[in-house]
Amino acid sequence: MRADSRAGHRLRKFGSYAILTVLAFVVLFPIYITVVNSLLRPVDIAARPPVFFPLHPKWSSYADAWNGGHMSKYLVNSFIVTIAITVGQVFTAILAGYAFAFLEFPFKRTLFAVFLATLMVPFEVTVVTNLDTVRALGWFNTYQGLAVPFLATGFGAFLVRQAFLQVPPDLSDAAALDGYGHWRFMTRVAVPLARPAVAALTVFGFLGAWNQFLWPLLATKDDQLRTVQIGLKTLRQTSLNDVNVTFAGAVIAVIPIAIILLLFQKHLVRGLTAGAVKG
Amino acid sequence: MSSSRFVRLVALAGVAVFALGACSGSSSGSGGKASGDSTSGGGSNACPVGALAKATGPVQITFWHGLNRANEETLQKLVDQFNGQQTKVKVDLVNQTGYEEILRKWVAGLGTKELPDLAQMEDTATQQMIDTQSIVPVADCIKADHYDTSDFVSRVLERYNVDGKLYPMPFNVSNPVLYYDKNAFRAAGLDPEKPPATLAEVKTDAAKIKALGYQTGFGLKLNPWYLEQWASKADHLFVDHENGRKGRASKVLFDDAAGEATFAWMKDMVDSGLARTNPDDGPNGFDNLLGIRSKVQGMTIDSSASLGTVSQVLASGEGGGVDLGVGAMPGPSGAGGVLVGGGALYMSKSSTPEKIAATWEFVKFLVSSETQATFAAGTGYVPIRKSSITQKVLADLYASTPAYKVAYEQLLSGKDDIATAGPVIGNYAGVRDVVRDAETKMLAEGGDPKAAIKAAATAATAAIQDYNTRIGK
Repeated sequence: MRADSRAGHRLRKFGSYAILTVLAFVVLFPIYITVVNSLLRPVDIAARPPVFFPLHPKWSSYADAWNGGHMSKYLVNSFIVTIAITVGQVFTAILAGYAFAFLEFPFKRTLFAVFLATLMVPFEVTVVTNLDTVRALGWFNTYQGLAVPFLATGFGAFLVRQAFLQVPPDLSDAAALDGYGHWRFMTRVAVPLARPAVAALTVFGFLGAWNQFLWPLLATKDDQLRTVQIGLKTLRQTSLNDVNVTFAGAVIAVIPIAIILLLFQKHLVRGLTAGAVKG
Repeated sequence: MSSSRFVRLVALAGVAVFALGACSGSSSGSGGKASGDSTSGGGSNACPVGALAKATGPVQITFWHGLNRANEETLQKLVDQFNGQQTKVKVDLVNQTGYEEILRKWVAGLGTKELPDLAQMEDTATQQMIDTQSIVPVADCIKADHYDTSDFVSRVLERYNVDGKLYPMPFNVSNPVLYYDKNAFRAAGLDPEKPPATLAEVKTDAAKIKALGYQTGFGLKLNPWYLEQWASKADHLFVDHENGRKGRASKVLFDDAAGEATFAWMKDMVDSGLARTNPDDGPNGFDNLLGIRSKVQGMTIDSSASLGTVSQVLASGEGGGVDLGVGAMPGPSGAGGVLVGGGALYMSKSSTPEKIAATWEFVKFLVSSETQATFAAGTGYVPIRKSSITQKVLADLYASTPAYKVAYEQLLSGKDDIATAGPVIGNYAGVRDVVRDAETKMLAEGGDPKAAIKAAATAATAAIQDYNTRIGK
């Protein structure tokens, strides 16, 4: 009986590992083949059967992407804009989320509904008016023109508000008794408790800003301020003897995102378990 | 890529909005008062060619281009040459990463007036650009300047002529050609100097190449452009209202006998294992060309603009043993010929008169016989002037590498009529998406070619009418 259940347990464990392995393969294979293709000669990329391992890796494609494709310049621009947007989004989301969760003010529900309504408006709809505004402010082809339209999002305010609502009211009363004002309560109590949501928002904000294409294309004049995704497009339209360079550029563009995800994955998971155990 | 398709839709919507806005008043254009309807007369007003003489200092103009890196070098050299040889005009060349991006940026710039003085756009953009009502038709400049266009290849001018008016200036011209491995032809007992001229011959030759042990005979890139080319070669219209040149196109006509035959041919080639398909975009967009090098197949059809890099790739690397041949694009028999692809130059109406005049000076430089010869020799594009091929730089290239001449020669062969001028369609991209999807679906899932092209025609007509409704036509 007991032996049976142990065997069943082992079998189930084996089964779930098998499924996880397959899923991991499905997720990782495209990334793997991108790296492989970046190291192959263009003719080998089109070979059938496909080449799955670069026997003679051609590292020069990375140098081509970095120097010829000006990826270094585009990366710097992307970093400046993305960090500004991410910091701005997290900061405004915390402030707005706090207001909606803990403060009482007239038209609170209506205002919150308006915030939520902005989630329904795709960015493409507002692109022309935004461009008009940015130009009227004299921000066309500047870093602030690239970053400022994205410093606040309805999504961020919503996400953080929901997390703040989970904070027990007792805590806020206790904090008030200890003489905490709103600012100290927010920074010392509410935000640390809402860390998983803030971490998620940071990752979302970073990903979204890093992957922007249309706005940086429209709001810049030439390649002085262009970001990495546009640089990638420039690489992509080159030619067939540069296919490997395009792949190399894609790998370069993905590295910062991968690092951010790895860094924040820990926070996301730790935050989740912390919440679970506290109960 | 579905996101890019979405953005294209948005861009279209943008065009519609601005076209309506322009209709409903606001005479903000600085070019000329009668800017709205300069269909006849008033040419000197719409294109103030004399304004440059009044300019006090050098006039700075901006030129957006979408060429790839290799070709950009040739263009940059020409721009530098122009900037160096005169002092009245200074051109700033800006790479906007691609044709689609240029159109997008132009549409977005209509509201903000962030427009360049000159922009290079794909041949498919003609109707959309007319609909933005933001351009100076070069016909006005030609008229005002008494500029002689008799040396231009006539089919090239016809491509951009709508209702008797030339809107953009043609600049870089390409068309599809047949790329093949002469060594494969020799091994298969075929004449390496006589590539297939018809689709039926492609099939018989492909079968012989496959019999050599190749995986397949022919690399079929699913580029919707080829359906337009085959209609043109068959001397059939692609859309109604004289290919959209006498009135706005309202429905497609490509589901006729010629269209059915090409769809059936594609399906037959794939079903019998004589062709391998690849998409016309993304990382596999060059598989048909690279497949010749890796001996997956012996021939393919692709743009003549690829010839430079194709020969580079085939020449590079060890072993290989590919002897590249280039032939005219095989197609259905008919009196027509290949239609003109590539890009053309649009002048912005919102530029100041001095800038418009300066831009016109620069445009004339870009399409001069010498410049066209240098550009064609440097990039592999087809020169748009007949005399260019007698310029030394191009004559030398054509003598040493006759493959470069194929695309030029096939542009001169066949009838020059409304069919070979090609279609003018507002929602050109939408029609191509529909055709691409229909071909992909038919070849991947099976299905009757006749039904496939009928369904494609219905959807393409809907796409055209959707666009027309949105701009209120």
